[in-house]
Order: sequence, then structure tokens, then C-alpha cells
Amino acid sequence: MSLAAIKPVVRRHAEIGILLIAVALVAFFSATSDGRWANAYNFATILQVTATLGLMTLGVALVIGTGEIDISVGSTFGMGALVYLWLASRIDPSAAALAAVAVGAAIGLLNGLLVTRTGTPSLIITLGTLMIFRGIAIALTEGFSFSIPYAARKGWSFEILGGGEFLGFNTALYWLILILVVLTVVLTAMPFGNRLLAVGGSAASAHSRGIRVGRIKLSAFVICGALAAFAGTLEAGKLGFADGSMGRLMELQAIASCVLGGCLLAGGRVSLIGALLGAFVLSSIQSYLVVVGVAPQWFLLFLGIIVVLAAYGDQSLRQWALKK
Amino acid sequence: MTVKQLTHTQGLGAIIGVVIMLAAFTMIDFSGWWTRQTIANVVQFTAILGFVAMGQALVIMCKEIDLSVGSVYGLAGVAFITLEPTLGVPGSLLAALVIAALAGLIQAIAVVKGQLPSMIVTLGGLFTARGIIYVWTGGSVHNFSEAARNHPVTRLLGGELFGIEAAIFWLIAVGLALNLLLWATPFGNQLLATGGSKESAESRGVRSDRVKVAAFVLCALLAGFAGVLTLCDRPQTHVTLGELMELEAISAAVIGGCLLAGGRGSLVGAVLGAFIVVSFRYELIALGAPSSWYITFVGVVLIVAVIFNQILARRLGHSV
Amino acid sequence: MTNGHPLIQVKNLDLYFGAFHALKNVSVDFHAGELVGLVGDNGAGKTTLIRVLCGMHTPTSGEVYFDGQRVEKFHPKLAIDQGIETIQQSVGLCDNLSIARNFYLGREPVRRILGIPFLDFTTMRDKSTRVIRQFGLRDNVSADDEVERLSGGERQSVKIGRAVEFRNRVVIMDEPTNHLSVREREHVNELAVQLKKQGLLVIYITHDIFQVHKLADRIVIMENGEKIEDASTSKMTAEQLEEVIRQGGRVVERREALS
Repeated sequence: MSLAAIKPVVRRHAEIGILLIAVALVAFFSATSDGRWANAYNFATILQVTATLGLMTLGVALVIGTGEIDISVGSTFGMGALVYLWLASRIDPSAAALAAVAVGAAIGLLNGLLVTRTGTPSLIITLGTLMIFRGIAIALTEGFSFSIPYAARKGWSFEILGGGEFLGFNTALYWLILILVVLTVVLTAMPFGNRLLAVGGSAASAHSRGIRVGRIKLSAFVICGALAAFAGTLEAGKLGFADGSMGRLMELQAIASCVLGGCLLAGGRVSLIGALLGAFVLSSIQSYLVVVGVAPQWFLLFLGIIVVLAAYGDQSLRQWALKK
Repeated sequence: MTVKQLTHTQGLGAIIGVVIMLAAFTMIDFSGWWTRQTIANVVQFTAILGFVAMGQALVIMCKEIDLSVGSVYGLAGVAFITLEPTLGVPGSLLAALVIAALAGLIQAIAVVKGQLPSMIVTLGGLFTARGIIYVWTGGSVHNFSEAARNHPVTRLLGGELFGIEAAIFWLIAVGLALNLLLWATPFGNQLLATGGSKESAESRGVRSDRVKVAAFVLCALLAGFAGVLTLCDRPQTHVTLGELMELEAISAAVIGGCLLAGGRGSLVGAVLGAFIVVSFRYELIALGAPSSWYITFVGVVLIVAVIFNQILARRLGHSV
Repeated sequence: MTNGHPLIQVKNLDLYFGAFHALKNVSVDFHAGELVGLVGDNGAGKTTLIRVLCGMHTPTSGEVYFDGQRVEKFHPKLAIDQGIETIQQSVGLCDNLSIARNFYLGREPVRRILGIPFLDFTTMRDKSTRVIRQFGLRDNVSADDEVERLSGGERQSVKIGRAVEFRNRVVIMDEPTNHLSVREREHVNELAVQLKKQGLLVIYITHDIFQVHKLADRIVIMENGEKIEDASTSKMTAEQLEEVIRQGGRVVERREALS
């Protein structure tokens, strides 16, 4: 049994790297925080943060899989939260959540159409929509208040949408698990997944095999927008209120999670579970800094360094595994 | 310049944009737009954003992107003010520029030696530099002393000359130098070749790695200098100094005709793009719109500009 | 052999890329059961012409008929659905996917559970394994390996195997013997002849006139985006045809001027 024997495993499972990092970090954090980090309450908090960031990350991972990028998700997240909060105090929360997801899907559709119909780089288009919807979100919150009165924060449909807990965990976590399973099946065991990865691997080859590249990319953008808005809904359900800056910089964390999780920015290689582990690692670090009393400002600094190191580590691991 | 040459410059879209915008603003709101105060503000901030946009344009021309410029701009500004009591104005100016250049250099090395996508590296740089700002200042606001405000260097960078903001003279001087560098030196030629076709450039002996490093360092230096200029004019730091500026700078460069496919672009266009972005901000303020609409408008202008430039480039027969 | 209506008929085809005139008024017929060699120097327009036939490029003007029907929309999906299979030089395989996944890309076999289409992994693996064995890939290569790991010849074999496996009416081969060893080359050429004998139309693109002259029924020569020669191999020798290519069509012009 040598290192060479595990090469094929590493080659096929992009998430190995992040799994090792996650295990090491959990061990390190538990050992150095006197039980302040590794306890049930803190874990539940980390998992709630992981759930909302993770849902957004799953969508971004799909878009990255097609070789495009969506950095508008932070704003879509905020718009989803605002739509949900505005409607939830007027109609049933489940209908409000549907409306929020529809708004997210519409933003995704706009992104996707602009990218595929004009052939413009998605980085620029989604940068534009990031600003457009952030501006709208701030403008909306300047004029109206977005919160659900405490009296209204009950009922099963409110609770299953991030507003309650089940078995000690925020309900957002169960949504995350459900959506992870569905998307993993779609990606690995359905024709759509095969075509999505093909588009990311080589759009020209996929096109020559009769795949409608534009449609695949468009679907990825729509799913991504819908998931980001749904994540915003769940976060809004937890907090019960939102302001215009909700979800700011989350797009960067979501991309960072994908890279940490072994998704290739050039497209064609996606690990959904890896991306989630990435989101978990980022949430864990954030929480660790809080419990050990380091100023939270350090998080940004670490985040930056971790992103670059992760990208480098992932690439080196991959190159090693590909060597014959 | 003949008509044909004019229609072939990458900055054409920006020139058209400026004309339409000025006409529109004049018609909508003549008295609010053509005032001494608005013009002075627009000129000052165009100069500052112009520096950052020119740097961004250089990086985009060699087919990379720099998302960290907003944070580097903020970091240089914070360094300039925080180090002033110990180093004096000229010393801290130098230190701020060195810090900015280092930020560019480190990221560039990660891009070319680590063979990583510049988007990820500079995304990391955006976080790291912003994190350093937070940790360094501890969130507090720093100010210049009276003596530092009156220091000749501060006055030269941040004051007025002949009743016009000094920053604009700096922009013109640096802009001319960069244009010469880009269009009249071997380095400029190599930079455009690196962006247009890296393999071809390398096959002709161009060290494309070095060219990229130089572009990143120049970009970070320009962003740092812009930060210093801002603080000479209004010597007060915020931890949020330069937030979202990377978006404005990329918008300005793209509006100015830089193609993300690399190899083509215009520094003059980038400055005009900065002018458009800044003008929108002040026109919206003058019209009394909530300040947040400004972000939305920049987003719309960015998307319209990039699609327009794409179509324009295809019409001219470039492959994009 | 060339009686009956042509399977593919190209009429007055023009194609511009921006200002570049890539195809100039090209008209050519292809019949079922025929092996046609499409020959010309680099940049002659061979690949562009077949990319129109397989739906990757939409012509600027002119008409294409398939089996008597005018082709209105050009997309690889439509071409593949009609039975036009193309072995392209540079595209066709996605490096990041396994051989089995590439093999069925775009027409994946599915097993429906509750109406939801799931990939039929067994069929994908078994069929593609059989084909890659038949086409002589290394024994240690499995259908689950990423294409990334294959050599140039092995990639070509996968593409050819895929084209043969699906029942098609037209097989277009763009420089199929590039990157191949001498033995593999013979194998590919035999396959091309076999396919023709099964009644398929085979269009074989190459710049090696001597190689294709031995196989083909007819040679079409292109130069600068124009068709300059279209002759049966029984009427002209390889040497004569080579002269046409070397003269860049001037021989033909002279001949036409005389007649």
C-alpha cells in the first residue's frame, strides 16, 4: 500500500482535500478552546450558518461547473430575504417563500439570458446585477421596514422555513441535506448532470455532440438564483428581520467555499459535498474566532489567505494525482 | 486622427457615452449639474477613480483581473495616515506606495508562479487587505494633524492649483506617461501581446510572466496612489475606505472599452469610464435620489456598456 | 452508383466569418454508399464545409438539402438526430468526463424511475467497454477513466468507435488518421471502406491525396474556400489530382477555358 494506490481515489473525489482540512480543523478547534467551541449549542449555530451559506454555495457550484460564475448571489440572497419578510406578515409563509424563490429564479434567468444571449463574460454581467439588486435592496429598506412581529413568528410553515428547530437543529439544516441529496443525484446520475459537466469541461465538444450549451448554462443560473433566494428566506426566517446589507460579501464566501471544496473555476469539475464542507470550514473558523475572543475582524484576513492557499493546495493535489 | 482611426479605437463607446450622458444631464437638470461644487466633486473623484481604473485596464489588457484594488486603495490610505506621525508626510507617502506595490507583487507571484486564476487570488487579496485594515485600525477613525494638513506634499497632492483640483493634474501627468508606456514602448507591445495570445507572445520570446507581474504591480501602485490622493484632499480614514471600489474600477475599465478577452483596451477610455461612473453618482445626488440607487445605476450602466462594446467589437471584426 | 437523388446536396453555399469569406459559392453532391475524399491544403475550407454539414456553422447564404429536405436550422443536435456523425479533429471529447460518459454524451441511455430519467450506467459502461476493447485501447484503460488520461490515438479511437456504434447514415471524418500509428491508420481506413459498403455515406477529409485516392470513389478538392475539382478516382490518378492541388486550381481553369 503506497501513496500511488490512493491516486485514483484522489483523482475521482475532489473533496478529499477539504475533508482532511475539515477534520484537522475540528480537532484543532476542539482541543484549543476548552469546550467553548465544541459544544452542542455552538455546533447548532455553526450548522445554521453553514446551511444558509451552503445552499447558496450549492447553486454557485453548479454555475462554476458550467465554466461560468455568479457573483450576484449575495444580492439575490438579500432580495429573497426581503421578499419573504414583506410577504410573510401578509400571506402564509410558505407562499411567501415560494414568491421569494421565484424572484431569485427570475434574477438567475436575467443573469443567464444576458450571459448566453450576448456572449458576455458572466463575471461582468453578474457584477452588474450584484450592484443592481444591492441598490434596490438598500433603497427598499430605506423606505419600508422588513420584519415579522414577534406575535406572528409561529405556525408550522414559519417554523419549517428557518424559523424553528427540529431535534435541536435549525430547520434550515434539513433543507440543506434534502437539496444536497437531490442535486447530487441530478449531477451524477441524470443526463442533465452529465451535460452540465460536459459544458464546463469543453463547451465546444459538448456543442459538437448536439448539446444546447446555452440552455444548460441558463438552467444552472436559474437554479443558482433560486437557491440563493431560498437561503435568504431561511436566514430571514431565523432572524425575523432584515436590512439592505443582508448577504453582503456572501457571494465571495460562497465562491471561496466552492474553491475550498475542490470545484475547478474553469468548469467541469464539481463536488457538491466538498463545497458544503468548504462552507462548514468557513463558518467554523468564524465561530472559533468569536469563542476564543479574537476580534472578528481577523476573519476577513484569514478568509483571504485561506482562499488562496486552498486554491493552490487543491491544484497541487490534483496535479499529483494526475501524474502517471 | 481620421474618422476611420476614431471608429477603431476601443474608447469609442466611452466617448459616445460621455456625449450622451452630458447631453442628458444638461437637459434633465441644467442648474443642478453645471454648478461649481458639482463639477469640482466630479473632477476630483474622476481623477481618483481614473487612477484605479487605468490600473485595472492594464491588468485586464493582459487577460487577468484584479478584484483587490478597492482594498489596496483603502490599505494605502490607512497606511498613509497611520504612519504619518512616525514617518512624516513624505515618508508615509513612500511607505503607503511600497505597501501597495508589495500587495500587487505578492498577488502577481501567486498568479504566475502558483498558476492560479487571478480572480481567486485577488479575491483573497480583497479579503486579506480589508482584514488588515480592520485589524490595524481597530475600527477607529484616524485624522491628520494640523501640521500634516499644511505640509507642502499634502497641499501638492490634495489642494487646488489655479482653482482646479490638483488631482486632475496628477491624472493627466500619470495618464500621459502610462499611455506612452503602453503604446510607444516594447513593454506596452509585450503587454498587449500577452493579453492577446500568451502562447504566441511567449513563442516570440516575451516573458509573459514578468509582463503580468509588472501589470499587477502597476495596478496596485495606481490604486495606492489614488488612496493617498483621496486622503490628502480629505484626511480622514474609515475602515470602509474603498469598499466596492473594485466594482467601480472594473465598470470604468469595461465602459472604457477594455475587453475581458484581453489584448485590447484604452486608458483614455478607462478614465472616461470613470468620469461616467462618477457623474452618475453626483447627478443622482443632485436629483435627490436615495444614494443607494447609484449602485443600481452603475450596475445597469456596466451591463449596457459591456454588451454595447461586445457588439461594437464584433462589428469591427474582432473575435470576442 | 451516383444515380438516384443525392443524400446531401449543397447549393451555392457562402459563409463569412466577420469580413473573412470562408466558403465561396460551393456546390457539391454526396450520395449514400459513397466514400468521398475531401482534399485541400490547410485553410482551404474543408473543415468549414463539414462544420456546416454537421450543424456547427450556419451558412451566410445558399442551401443544404438532406435526403431531399431543405435544412432550415443548423445545430449539431439536429444533424446528429438525422444520423450525421462527425469525427472532429480538435473537439468531441470532454477531458473531465469518463469514457463511458463521453461515449453517450447528448444521447444518454436512461432508465425511468417514477418518470425521472436516471442514467443507465450498466448499458453505458458495458457498451463503451466493448467498443474500446474492439478498437484496441490499452488493457488497463477502463470505461470509467477520464479521457484526460488517454493518448492522442486512443482519443481518436474512442471518437471513431462512437461514430460506428450508433447506426448512422453519414460519417464524416476530419483527418481521422492524425496522431495515429501506421497500424492504427490502416485499421481506420479499413473501417471507412467497411462503412461505405454497409451503404453509408463516408466523407473523408485529409490533405494526403495519395492515401485517400486508394479508398475513395470520388475526390473533391477545395482551395481558398472554393471547390476547384470534383472527379471520380477512376477518371483521374492521384498524381493528376496532386497537380491540381499544387497549381491551386489553375489546371482546372485552363481546362475549362479550352473546352
